[in-house]
Amino acid sequence: MSRTNSITDLLEVGIKAENLRQKTIANNIANLETPEYRRIDVKFEELLANSMDSSGSVDLNELEPELYRPKQTPIKLNGNDVNLESEVGHMVKNSLRHTAYIRLLNKKYKQIELAMDVK
Amino acid sequence: MEVENNFGPVDIAISGLRAQGKQIEIISSNVANARTTNAGNGEPYRRLEATFKSDSDTGGVKLDKILTDTSEFLKVLDPGHPLADENGYVAMPNVNLPVEMMNLTIATRVYQANTAVLKRYQQMVETTLELLR
Repeated sequence: MSRTNSITDLLEVGIKAENLRQKTIANNIANLETPEYRRIDVKFEELLANSMDSSGSVDLNELEPELYRPKQTPIKLNGNDVNLESEVGHMVKNSLRHTAYIRLLNKKYKQIELAMDVK
Repeated sequence: MEVENNFGPVDIAISGLRAQGKQIEIISSNVANARTTNAGNGEPYRRLEATFKSDSDTGGVKLDKILTDTSEFLKVLDPGHPLADENGYVAMPNVNLPVEMMNLTIATRVYQANTAVLKRYQQMVETTLELLR
């Protein structure tokens, strides 16, 4: 396989990771009052950075977003550590990144269309 | 404070929201215990006060300490009260309800200000993203 990644492939894994992160945020908010529940987060950007070689290319088939429990926020009396404000913050950042990826993908498709539109 | 995080303002605004949420929690504890004559140690309830410090890593705010207010208890003349002393006075918590309501208003306004910052920053990034269209 070629060792350089196409823009669309990179955007695809990015959008997949943001989708997964959105799901975990929804899950965390749904379990806001569940006793003993610890919040879940997605580890992706670090894994992507770590698996990059010197030329900046990655084997995207090997790369899977990872779910983990950060266990960093303070625990409430019922053993739960979900904080609504933090989840809203994560959601805002997540949706902004998601929009950026979608816009870039759209831009890429427009470019391809432009190239095909020679009459 | 390091400036490298893309979404730093979001984290800072959220830290403000969490701090004011904690402040409101403490105010509600003070109001709920405004007439508590036994706080578990035989003394009336002492009002709590939260102090905050800035988080030097992110530039946000975080809870420093929750301290007790050591000012005098309120003496209320109520000779019929079972806990009244020989002069007929009962020691009541040092909670002053108007002060608590004032603090509640301040905490609510600061919370609103932080959500305003968050919203405005979100709009700003969306404006930048419009350039990608």
